[in-house]
Amino acid sequence: MTWLFVAVLFTVATLFYVFYIPGRLFLGPEKTRAGYLRERKDAVYENLRDLNFEYQAGKVPEVDYQQMKSSLQDEAAAILAEIARLENNPSSQKGFRS
Amino acid sequence: MAELGSFTLLLALALSVYSFLAGLIALSFQKQKLATQPTSSKAPNLVPQSSGFGSLLRQSSERLSETARRAGIASFGAVLLASIILVVCAFQDNFSIAYIFHHSNRDLPGPYKFAVLWSGQEGSLLFWSLLLTGYAFVLRLRYKTDPRLFAYASVALAGVQIFFLSLLNFAAHPFAIMQGNLPADGSGLNPLLQYPEMVIHPPMLYLGYVGFTVPFAFALGALITKYPGEKWIHITRRWTMVTWGFLTCGIFLGAHWAYSVLGWGGYWGWDPVENASLMPWLTGTAFLHSVMMQEKRGMLKVWNMWLVFATFWLAILGTFLTRSGIISSVHAFAQSSIGDWFAWFLVLTLVVFLFFFVKNRKHLVSEHKLESLASRESSFLFNNLLFVLLCFTVLWGTWFPKISELVQGNKVTVGAPFYNRVAIPVALLLLILTAVGPLLAWRKTSLESLKRNFLWPTIGAVIVAIFLMITPESWGSVFGLKPWHDISYFYSLMAISLSVLVILTVASEFYRGGKVISKHTGQGTFASMVQLTHRNTRRYGGYIVHFGVVVVIIGLAGAAFNQDQEKEMGYGDRMSIGPYTLLCRSYTEDESPNYFSQWAMIDVFKNGKAIGSMTPVRRFYKASQQTSTIPDIRSTLNEDLYLVFEGVNQDNGHPIIKAHLNALVMWIWMGVWIMLIGTGLALVPNAQAPARAPVTARLERAQPAPVVTGD
Repeated sequence: MTWLFVAVLFTVATLFYVFYIPGRLFLGPEKTRAGYLRERKDAVYENLRDLNFEYQAGKVPEVDYQQMKSSLQDEAAAILAEIARLENNPSSQKGFRS
Repeated sequence: MAELGSFTLLLALALSVYSFLAGLIALSFQKQKLATQPTSSKAPNLVPQSSGFGSLLRQSSERLSETARRAGIASFGAVLLASIILVVCAFQDNFSIAYIFHHSNRDLPGPYKFAVLWSGQEGSLLFWSLLLTGYAFVLRLRYKTDPRLFAYASVALAGVQIFFLSLLNFAAHPFAIMQGNLPADGSGLNPLLQYPEMVIHPPMLYLGYVGFTVPFAFALGALITKYPGEKWIHITRRWTMVTWGFLTCGIFLGAHWAYSVLGWGGYWGWDPVENASLMPWLTGTAFLHSVMMQEKRGMLKVWNMWLVFATFWLAILGTFLTRSGIISSVHAFAQSSIGDWFAWFLVLTLVVFLFFFVKNRKHLVSEHKLESLASRESSFLFNNLLFVLLCFTVLWGTWFPKISELVQGNKVTVGAPFYNRVAIPVALLLLILTAVGPLLAWRKTSLESLKRNFLWPTIGAVIVAIFLMITPESWGSVFGLKPWHDISYFYSLMAISLSVLVILTVASEFYRGGKVISKHTGQGTFASMVQLTHRNTRRYGGYIVHFGVVVVIIGLAGAAFNQDQEKEMGYGDRMSIGPYTLLCRSYTEDESPNYFSQWAMIDVFKNGKAIGSMTPVRRFYKASQQTSTIPDIRSTLNEDLYLVFEGVNQDNGHPIIKAHLNALVMWIWMGVWIMLIGTGLALVPNAQAPARAPVTARLERAQPAPVVTGD
């Protein structure tokens, strides 16, 4: 009958762990458009860094480099502008939902 | 013990069901709550309304979600306990449990008793469940990264857990009790599995198979929630790479086991079970490449979603093939009637995924278009198409016997020539892309840039090809290669030359990058290359993986030059193969508690000079009444001398020895190590990045909100 004792003990411990939740729960921040834009900004910055590096390594010709850099900088600037707009006027933030 | 094991499995199932249902209810409620909140600019939904009944319901759903998460965590404890019990029963020789009786015996060495856990169908399903709940355990502990997305992933994982635990509880119970009189000893472990690598090969392979459930769970969660952005990919990146590393390791350990144990002199036979492990590896590899396009450019979202699903689905299909016996295989160690369960599960997962894909596909719109064929993006795209083509070929060849049986009534099997006809050209094209890809810039690359970057690597590859052709054949292996003699020689020459091209382009990537760092820091080139790798471990770790892959390819290219000889060898008899002469010095028999063995002692001479002796063995396992060969292999960088004790002439007792001379095999195993080192390196976090590029100057003239997607 030892197995029965172990089974009961294990079950009680499991139920206690599952259902006894003291204190506050960690819910994390809700994902917002500004949050999403910050992620996009990081991605574009990373692309810019990669482009600069590839240019310095001699993999990208000058003309291509200037054109691609300009395009990426425009994209980053647009993202920053929208982030600034959302931060200045938080009530206009549009949340994400399923 | 068996009762406790059965109980813990039942408890694990109950906890998984609770985790799934409670998680689903909590998420449904949270979704409804969000849907009823106003979304206009006047009423943000970022902070939930916290008044009265609504607040109470919100808290209730969050608590319910937390209990679901905890139940999922606890299910790991229950499955772990069940696994421990089964292993303890194996060590205690508890033959009252049918599974232990069928897969162990008293004289089985300790490590193999531990391996009993995954040596049969019921145990391997338990092991699958243990790994699955283990992965889910880690995921559920790390939920703070993004609680909502993790909650969806947790529910998806709980759904997969329910399937495997239901199988264990109702169709393939590992703690089933023996009927009738208790046997004195077990039937023993399959002799083919009594090999040291078999103690680690299945766990590695299963870690790979099971691990792909995690990216799938996240992808499904992201699809259901219309998750904004690519953060879910960042979250799953390491999971996918770790899983891919395990699967790579598992596949090559299997190949090494086949080479070292099966005694046919080869390492890959396009067997259905080998194919089963290759298919998710191919789609997983494609995903690891194409996911970069999504991260960097927001492209291929639909494609990536399907690749993640296909990889998971093929991993389940692989487990199904290994364990159901639906397709004949030398590796299918356990066969039973659980096929229907798997078939329904595969259909169910496809339906669920397809439903959410159709429902939310508009969310997966690409943010950019392909700008040029000469770009990093297009190289990834072609690379993906080739991987998927190869995967489809393998899938078709694997299932063809079953399909032909259903259509024509007779089973038609396809062999190595079918696969090689597609796999070799595809592999060569992939090698070209592996060489070209790193030298292409994102978006577009000019012809001038291509010429400048490719000139020296191409010259290097051509020099190596000419060198291989003009060297004397007496050097053995791939030297003195005449591609016009046979198409297989041509393919070998192409494979080796393209591999050299890849190595040189990878080296040039390190060198150029190192030079840039060196210019800024004043460090030496090598120190700069180390720093470069540390700054972008994923990219340069990936290059090291590519280097490992081409070393493997060089090893595979050696197969065109393999030779073999078979001869009955009495005392003093000789056999010649390539530069080697084999002399039979003696042969005898031996006995251990687990098996009888016959072995021959062969003196080996190379170009007339004695270089040692080899002892191929043949064993007869007492418990299972089965025979197995243990080839003796003498490995060098150039070639392997591989001797097999094929049998004995019943008339005179002379051993029959088969000798294989396999070119460049060692390169395969070295390449795998390099691949694993590269994978490990790619998992190391990056060193601090340099200062960000200045873009704020353009802020003033920028118009707000042209950034696409996100909702």
